[in-house]
Amino acid sequence: MKPKLIIGIVAIVGFTSLLMYNFGESISTYTTFEGAAERSTAHIPGTWDEEKGAEFSMETKRFTFYMKDEDGVSRKVVYPKPKPNNFEEADQLVVIGEMRGDIFYANEMLMKCPSKYNDNDPGRFVNASDS
Amino acid sequence: MLGILGKALISASFVVSLFAMIFYFVAANKDEEKTLRIGNWLFTAKVVFLVAASGILMYLIFKHQFQYYYVFNYTSLDLTPRYLFSAFYGGQEGSFMLWILISGFLGFGLMKWTRPPYKGPVLFFLTLTQVFLLSMLLGWDIFGLKLGASPFRTIAEEMPNAPFLQTNPDFVPADGSGLNDLLKSPWMMIHPPILFLGFAMMTIPYCFAMAALWKQKYNEWVGPALPWTLSANVALLTAIFLGGYWAYVTLSFGGYWAWDPVENASLVPWLIGTAGIHTMIIQRKSAVAQKSSILFAILAYVAVVYETFLTRSGILGSSSVHSFVDLGLYNQLLAFMLVVTLVGLGLFFWRYKELPSPEKEAKVLSREFMTVTGAMLLLILGLVIILGTSSPVLGQLFVEKPTPPEISFYNNWSMPIAMIMAIFTVLGQYLFWKKYDAESLASALINPLLVTSAVTIASIIIGDVRNLYYMTYLFCGYFAIVGNAWVLFRLALQKPKLIGGSLSHIGFGLLLVGILASSAYNEPLVDQRTANYNEAVERGEVTDEQGFTVTQKEEMLELYLDEPVLIDNRYVVTYEGYELDNSVRRGQQNYRIRFEPLDGGKAFYMQPEVYPMLTSSSNENIQWSVDPDVRTGLFSDIYLYVGGSSYVQEQNDRIAENSMMQNVAFQDTLGEGPEVQTIEFKPGQTIDVGKFKIRFVNYSRTDTTQLPPNTTIGVRAEVELIHPASGRIFTVDPLFAVYSEQGQSYIYSPPSFIPDFDLEFQFTQIKPQENSIEVTVTGLEEEYEPEWVLIVADEKPFTSVVWAGTFILMAGFSVSIFRHWGRERKKNKE
Repeated sequence: MKPKLIIGIVAIVGFTSLLMYNFGESISTYTTFEGAAERSTAHIPGTWDEEKGAEFSMETKRFTFYMKDEDGVSRKVVYPKPKPNNFEEADQLVVIGEMRGDIFYANEMLMKCPSKYNDNDPGRFVNASDS
Repeated sequence: MLGILGKALISASFVVSLFAMIFYFVAANKDEEKTLRIGNWLFTAKVVFLVAASGILMYLIFKHQFQYYYVFNYTSLDLTPRYLFSAFYGGQEGSFMLWILISGFLGFGLMKWTRPPYKGPVLFFLTLTQVFLLSMLLGWDIFGLKLGASPFRTIAEEMPNAPFLQTNPDFVPADGSGLNDLLKSPWMMIHPPILFLGFAMMTIPYCFAMAALWKQKYNEWVGPALPWTLSANVALLTAIFLGGYWAYVTLSFGGYWAWDPVENASLVPWLIGTAGIHTMIIQRKSAVAQKSSILFAILAYVAVVYETFLTRSGILGSSSVHSFVDLGLYNQLLAFMLVVTLVGLGLFFWRYKELPSPEKEAKVLSREFMTVTGAMLLLILGLVIILGTSSPVLGQLFVEKPTPPEISFYNNWSMPIAMIMAIFTVLGQYLFWKKYDAESLASALINPLLVTSAVTIASIIIGDVRNLYYMTYLFCGYFAIVGNAWVLFRLALQKPKLIGGSLSHIGFGLLLVGILASSAYNEPLVDQRTANYNEAVERGEVTDEQGFTVTQKEEMLELYLDEPVLIDNRYVVTYEGYELDNSVRRGQQNYRIRFEPLDGGKAFYMQPEVYPMLTSSSNENIQWSVDPDVRTGLFSDIYLYVGGSSYVQEQNDRIAENSMMQNVAFQDTLGEGPEVQTIEFKPGQTIDVGKFKIRFVNYSRTDTTQLPPNTTIGVRAEVELIHPASGRIFTVDPLFAVYSEQGQSYIYSPPSFIPDFDLEFQFTQIKPQENSIEVTVTGLEEEYEPEWVLIVADEKPFTSVVWAGTFILMAGFSVSIFRHWGRERKKNKE
C-alpha cells in the first residue's frame, strides 16, 4: 500500500471517530424529572399541568408553571423569559435545563404545536367547524 | 364533482408519466429520435393534466369549498386573495404539486436545450423523479394499500369516523380553520415557490450525471449541466436567505438561523451542489475530477430527497418546530429515497472502473488540487450537518430517545471547516488564473496578508475581541475577502466576465465575518439596574428564595407609559402607548416605543406588534402572538419584541373573569362590587381620572321619542372617554330626564356602557348655578396600575454584513450563470 493511501485512511478514520464521538456527546436523551436530578442539563418532554396554572411574575421577570412529565410527575418549572407564543396551545413541551431541589430551571423551552403543517387533530376539527 | 375530476387528472398525469418514462427509456437506450418525440408528447400531456388539476385546486380554494379537507384545513373565508393563493402550497400535498409543476416546466427547457446523446436519459431520469413525486398525490387505495394523499380528498374521506359525519354525511363546514397566522406574511408568497424551484433544479445535475454514466460520456455533460446547477444554487440560496430573513423579522427566536432540520434541508443540498459546481468547473477546465463531479451531482439531489424524507415523513417528530406530520407517506418517501440513492450510486460504482482517473497526482499548489479540496470541504460540512439533522435516527446508536444535538455541535464543526475553506478560496483563486510555485505564491500573497492583518487588528481593537479563536476566525474571513478582492480587481480589468468565482468568494468571506459579529456579539439592551444584576449573576452572587445560585440572566425590560428609561447608557427609551389596529389581524396592537440616542442622533420609533392568533384562540383563552420590529442599520440592528403588556393582561383577566362568571352563575363570590365615582365638570372641561381623561364636550339634543311620558326636562351630555395610552376615544351621551307621575317628580338617568373597559356612565345631576353636571362612573378603579409594556430588545451588530455577503454570493453565482449559459447557447446554435 502506498503511504499516501495509509495517511488518507488514518485521516478519514480519525476524523470520523472524532466527529461521531463529539456527536454522541452533544446529543442527550429525553428524560423525566426524576432522571434529570442526575444530569447537569436535561431535556424533559411533558405537558403543562393546567390545573396549577401558569404565571409571569413582573417582580422576578420569570414565567412559572407546572409541568407533568411522562411519568405523570408534576413539578414547578421556572423559565426566565416571557410566556412563549403558543404556550397554552402546545400539546407537548420540552424543557431544557436543570433540576434544583424540586424546581426545574429551564433555560430553553420548545413547544410542539398542532401547527397548520401538522394539524391532524380531530378534536380541534370539530370545534372549529361548530363555531 | 370537481374533486373527482381533480383526482382523475392527477391519476392521468401519473399514468401518462409512467408511459413517458418507458418511452424515454427506450429512446435513451436505442438513441431513437422518434420514440423520444412520443416521450415528449406524453411528458407534455402530463404537465397539461397537472396544470389542470392545480387550476381546480386553486379554484376550490378561491371558492371556499370547505367540503375538501385541504381547503378546509388551510384556508378560511377571511383570507385575502394573496394568502388564498399561498394556501395552495401551504400544506404538504399542495407543496408536492408545486414542486412537480416547476419540475415539469423545467422539463420543457431540457427538451429544448439538451443535446444528444444526453437528451433521452436526462428526460428519463427527470420523469422518474416526477413519477415518484406524483405518486405522493394519488390517493389510491389498492386493496387496503394506500398510495399517496390526494389534495382533493373530502372531509368525509379524511375522517370517516367523525361523529358529526355519522349524523349528517353531507356536512360542509361553514368556515375553514384558516392559515396559521405566522404564515400570513408577504414572505409566504415568495419563499416556498423559490425553494421548490431550487429543489426542482437540483434534479437536473443528477439527471445529467446519470445520463453521463449511462451513455459512458463522462466529460461533455458538464457544459450543459453547469448553468443548471448554478441556477439551482442561486434559487436555493435565495430561498435560504428569504427563510432566514422571514424568521428574523417575524419570529421571536431572535435570529436568522437556528440549525433547524428544515433550514438544514435547504442548506445541505446547497453545500453539496456548490461542491459539484467546483468540480464541474475544474473538470471543464482541466479534464480532471470526472468522478467527483458525477458523485457530487448525484449526492446533491440525494440530499434533497433525504432531507425531504426527514422533514415530511414525521420521523423528526418533536425535534423541529416545523416538520410535517406523517400523511402515511413514510413508505413511499422511503422508496423514493432508496431508488434515487441506489440507482444513482449503483450506476456510479458499476461504471467506476471505467471512469477516467488522473494519470499523475496533482501538485498541491495547483488549481486542481485547491478546487477539489474546496469541494471536499463543502461535502464534509454537508455531511456533518446531515449527521446532526439525522439525530432522531442516528442518535439511537448512542442513547435511547435521542434529542437533537446542541447548537454548539454545528458551530464547533462548521467554524473550523469554514476557516480552512476561507484560506483555500484565496489560494485557489490565485492558482486558478496563474501558475505559482511556493515562493512566488508567497510573495504574491504578501500584500493581501498585510492588509488582512491590519483589518483584523483594527477589528479586534474596535470590537474588543478577546477570544483567540474568534481572532483567528476573523483573520480567515478577512483573508477570504481581501485575497479574493485582489484577484477580482486584476481580473475585472482584463476579463470582467470571469469574476463570478472571486466575487462569490468575497461574499463567502463577508458571510463568515457577519455571522460571527451578529451571533457572538449579540447584546441584550437593558437598563443599568438589570445590567448590574446580570453582572452579579455572572459572578455567581445572586441566590433565589430556595438558596440556589441564579444562573439565568434577565434580558427584558419593563417600561411604564411616558416614563423614559436609560438603556445601555446610549438610548433614552420611552413607551408612548399603543394603537389597536384591526386592518391586518383583528385585535392587533401596535406599540410605540421611542428611542432617543444620547449621542445626539435622530430619535426613532420601534413598533413591535402583538396579536391574538385567531386560528387557535377561543372565547375562554386567547393565544397571543408577537411580531418583532427590527431596525436595520449599517453597523447594527435593533431587534425588539413585546413580551407582555397591561393591555394583554387586562384582556386575559377579563376573559378569565367572564369564564368564571359563567361557571359560578349568579354567585357573587367576587366580594365587593365595582367602584363608583362621581365627577363634576363644566362643558369643555377635561378631568384626569386614573388612566383616563374624561371630557364633558357639551349638552346635546334629546330625541323626545326616547323619553318617558310627562317629561319636564330631558338633556343628554356628550361625554368623551379618552384612553391616552392607546389613543382611543369613546363617546357616550347619557340621558338626564325629569318626569312627573301622579304629581311626583322622578329622575330618569339610564346608564351608558363602554364595554371595552367595562365602564358604565350615568348622568346623575345638573347644577344650573355652576353650569356644571355630575356624572357617575361605575367600574373606574381609583387605584390603578399605570400602563406598562414588557420588551425584549437585542442589539445585533453587523447583521447587514450577513445580508451583504449573501447578496454578493448570489451576484457571483449569477455572473457565472451568464458566462456558462452564454457558452452553451453558442454551442446550441452551431
